[in-house]
Amino acid sequence: MKRIRITSCGNQLLAQPTSRRPSCLRSPAALQNSCTPHNHRIQSRLQTTAATSDNPFDSLEASATQRSQSSNTSSKPARYPNKQPLVTLPSPHPSAAQHSAKLAALRSRLSLPQRFPLQTLARTLIHPSADPNPAFNNGSLSILGGNLLGYYTTEYLLANYPRLPMAVVFAAQSAYTGPKALATIASEWGIEAAAEPGGEVDPGLLQFKRLRSGDDLPASLRNQRRYKWNVTTTNKVLESDEFGSATQSPSSQQLSTQQVPLEEAAQSFVRALIGSLHLHLGRPLVKRFFRDHFLSRHLDLSTLFDFRTPTRDLSRLCAREGFEAPVARLISETGRLSRHPVFVVGVYSGKDKLGEGAGSSLDEARVRAAAAALKGWYLYRPTEVTVPSSMEGETDQSKWKPNMVDCGEVIV
Amino acid sequence: MPVSAINTVAKARNGVGAFILQCKKLDFHYCDWAGSSRGMNAFIKSSLPAFAARNPQIEISVSPRPNKHPVIVGHYINGRQKAICVRNMTNHEVKEKALLLRDASGDKLKKVTKPVTSLNESVRGIWSPFHGSKINI
Repeated sequence: MKRIRITSCGNQLLAQPTSRRPSCLRSPAALQNSCTPHNHRIQSRLQTTAATSDNPFDSLEASATQRSQSSNTSSKPARYPNKQPLVTLPSPHPSAAQHSAKLAALRSRLSLPQRFPLQTLARTLIHPSADPNPAFNNGSLSILGGNLLGYYTTEYLLANYPRLPMAVVFAAQSAYTGPKALATIASEWGIEAAAEPGGEVDPGLLQFKRLRSGDDLPASLRNQRRYKWNVTTTNKVLESDEFGSATQSPSSQQLSTQQVPLEEAAQSFVRALIGSLHLHLGRPLVKRFFRDHFLSRHLDLSTLFDFRTPTRDLSRLCAREGFEAPVARLISETGRLSRHPVFVVGVYSGKDKLGEGAGSSLDEARVRAAAAALKGWYLYRPTEVTVPSSMEGETDQSKWKPNMVDCGEVIV
Repeated sequence: MPVSAINTVAKARNGVGAFILQCKKLDFHYCDWAGSSRGMNAFIKSSLPAFAARNPQIEISVSPRPNKHPVIVGHYINGRQKAICVRNMTNHEVKEKALLLRDASGDKLKKVTKPVTSLNESVRGIWSPFHGSKINI
């Protein structure tokens, strides 16, 4: 479905390997004339909080570094170098992340390696509603992570279940990485939310501006499209996101300084964590993290189907595939004249039994048998699959085995 | 619409894939004066750094609670708390209680009667009277 060029997205976030990284702290006087609201936080440059080379901060920083080297050589390293009250900051200072017990515990709980910096983990916890500055909130990381999650889930589903109907693919996507699923995952990771965001708050807490109970959702989170009876699956594939949902996911600009519910902030954290893992640790580790935390969850795909007319679908399917027309036959029965009869009916195509179902009436059993036969077709799983992302960066093409592509679900 | 879908959320299976320790925070409360805290104070001085280093997933906080018995409180991912009073216990006994809180899931204690609990359906299937060989009486 949706693909993005991950390299181009990642380059914006990674710091340039610059040799003039500030080694000594800037004097507060040098910062007074700059009017950016977050200038006091730029100087502790982290990999993901760094600005790109075309950023005006770079030139400012270089000049400030020279000035402070000449004038203020005896500046002492302090925890918060610029003595601005923390309460004035919209979100915790990046340097506070090193001292947060909650963040260190969270990193170990998720089994992330020590080389994943706590500052980045702290940044993934800052929702745009708490801090509108894109250099300090998780908006960009969240976009990257959301696309990665969609990509890995889609390729897993399409490679392993090539015959799934599109509606079921959408439902399975949202069951693994949908908004509700991500919010659940965040709560299962033990993420706690701060009551109110601010510079003095522990950076290990989820920072977002909380929606007061009884208030309406912000307009960007509400359903923007009007109901239409003729929204087809093709329309959803082309125009909607990977979950086929009616609402468009809001951009971080739209959500800045707006009150949002906890679920929205929690899911943006999970997405941003995936994005930052991709940037810091690379693709193999993100894929392992995705397998361990997302694909390992239990989802029985056969429970997602909701057939309206399974007998008709089955006869159309048999006609399309060139099988003999399906015939329902009674296999066994008990208590036909009693209060609770049971019939076991099989659906046969020629001599092959396609499916079997039990019900308390002949019709119910026949419908169940047809549904079982359809599920048997749609849930076909090839024994060997190679997902496309496993071949990224590989030079040896011989490992690639083409995946099965089915002609699609039955159209009645 | 020949087939539509039912929206659900995939269920977590802790330990399949990733394992997440359910204890997220341990509070150690001690008293400098009272004799019932002697074991707790010894534990905090001697064993707690090693305990904290061995369990980095847990946030540990130590705080005084004057003129009260010493307590260990565990905070869990499901939102519940468990508190154990460790008065008059020795260093070793306090450590065992801390380990007990670390390994707890945070749920209420309940009797486990089935040997296996699983979300997967049974491999053998449910026995059906309509299948298999008929018995002639």
